[in-house]
Amino acid sequence: MNPSNPPQAGEYGGDEVSAIVLDPGYSTTRAGFAGEDAPKSLIPTYYGKYNADGQEKLIYGDDIFVTPRPGLSIHNPIGKDGIVEDWDMAEKVWEYSFTSRLTGAKASNPLHNGLNDISNEELPTDMEVESDEKPLADSPLLMTEAGWNPVKAREKTIEIAMEKWGTPAFYLARNGVLAAFAAGKASALVVDIGASNISITPVHDGMILKRGVQHSPLGGDYISSQIRALFKKNSPQPITITPHYLISSKTAVEAGQPPQAKYKTFPADKAPDATYRALLEERTLSEFKECVVQVWPGPNKLSATGPTGVSNEEMARSSPGRPFEFPDGYNQLFGADRFRVVESLFDAKAAIPDPDSIFPAPTQAQTLPELIKASLGGVDVDIRPHLLNNVVVTGASSLLYGFTDRLNHELMQLFPGPRVRISAPGNTAERRFGSWIGGSILASLGTFHQMWISKKEYDEHGANIVEKRCK
Amino acid sequence: MSLASGVQVQDECITAFNEFRLSHGKTKFIIYKISDDKKSVVVDEVGHDQDYEAFRSKLEAAKNANGSPMPRFAVYDVEYDLGSGEGKRSKIIFISWVPSETPTLWSMIYASTREPLKSALNVSTSLHADDKSDIEWKHVLNEASGGKAGK
Repeated sequence: MNPSNPPQAGEYGGDEVSAIVLDPGYSTTRAGFAGEDAPKSLIPTYYGKYNADGQEKLIYGDDIFVTPRPGLSIHNPIGKDGIVEDWDMAEKVWEYSFTSRLTGAKASNPLHNGLNDISNEELPTDMEVESDEKPLADSPLLMTEAGWNPVKAREKTIEIAMEKWGTPAFYLARNGVLAAFAAGKASALVVDIGASNISITPVHDGMILKRGVQHSPLGGDYISSQIRALFKKNSPQPITITPHYLISSKTAVEAGQPPQAKYKTFPADKAPDATYRALLEERTLSEFKECVVQVWPGPNKLSATGPTGVSNEEMARSSPGRPFEFPDGYNQLFGADRFRVVESLFDAKAAIPDPDSIFPAPTQAQTLPELIKASLGGVDVDIRPHLLNNVVVTGASSLLYGFTDRLNHELMQLFPGPRVRISAPGNTAERRFGSWIGGSILASLGTFHQMWISKKEYDEHGANIVEKRCK
Repeated sequence: MSLASGVQVQDECITAFNEFRLSHGKTKFIIYKISDDKKSVVVDEVGHDQDYEAFRSKLEAAKNANGSPMPRFAVYDVEYDLGSGEGKRSKIIFISWVPSETPTLWSMIYASTREPLKSALNVSTSLHADDKSDIEWKHVLNEASGGKAGK
């Protein structure tokens, strides 16, 4: 390389901007630099709250899992329907997601950060200090949102980005559109299986068809509640999940035998809140979903009888079970039960009843096949076959073993005429971070600059500009 | 304005398309691609070969420097016979070809540029293909004729 020649555009990135992509979900928040393959920052959307020295303290990110502090309670700023409930805290959690790993913390006021302390109490009165450095002053920000995010929430989002974070340019993209695009499709029926919601988003020519957007709460957290219901009724004995922080030692036991573990106990004034325990139990449940749970692959419901006269339940029982060991050492083989905990995503009658669950018993209208029917019912009849031919599956909970096979069977039964074709990335990262990756690619394109809403435009037109520009 | 890549449609794309429309069947198709710098849609090839298979194999052969399959956009002049003496018709169909093994980066760029190109050319009939079976003649004929031919 000749140092007297200026670098070519390609060598220093040309007009590519270092935009930040923020994909906030109910369970996790994903953030990273545009142009990268995966989000650098993946944090829980949950945050912790406790009192120390008479002051309320807040903790974010993976720190919430680590220490069972006295009185530590866990909260989530996002409501069960996937829409922000607590804006102040959502702002803080989101801000943490990019300041912790990407942009660095806000510069603190140089008058108070200790570096400029003057020993003889002389105050630097004639010095103007820029005290309010904003965390995104140099980075355009692309955020994603659910298809049913209301206008008020969209306006509030741009307001935070522009006024609190100081971003010079902003865009708000529907995650259904991003998932469709990432699969190469401008028109698709996007089936997103998330933690708090499952949703169906029809996308046509790059726009969501609002009347066809459907969602219900039968997501990953609901599946967790079904697993808990199963554990309560489990034989040979009901299973209690005891998280690692409550166990001081354990010894190996035979399958199905009571656990042999020494437990840690916390006196009432030192114990963390019940929500902390629930959060840690959720980790064991996630592992259980990944290792044990399987979707009955179809054809037909788990409760139906196969063509040979053998019931599907019986078939499920005869397939080999899967072992699972709990943190306290209890372990057993799970047989047909591992199919039952997810069956109600397709067949509401199959739900395992649990009067203590925070989830009411599901209705048939909340199941996937009915949501898809309702979604297609809300769109023009001419494009329905086209949408069915381009079904895109995304969301981490869609990684449940056997999920796409079953979905395929259900769709073929529901719509025998048109050709049904499902596209689901085999790559786990693309399924978990589909909309983040889509946003990352778009925001990294030099040509995308014409889509951004600039600070100037925001100042001129107000928050409502997001409705006009980000359709 | 829907979400789009912002990739520019070069004037040559529209000029070529207008000539194509006025050529009365002499020009059979135009294949468009997105330039390697991801900045604009350009004309890849204007074809006169009357054999549909020649067009199809050109789409299928599109690859990048690493040998990964690459997407393309195309317009094709489909001629079809309505049968029972109603005579011949012709219709221009817009095709987006994004084979399923395309790297995600290019899937994303092509998908988010499809609508701006389609509306710039102002073609109403369109087809999306990601599998070789989607660009078989029978399927294309059926789409272009609105189901009246190619059954």
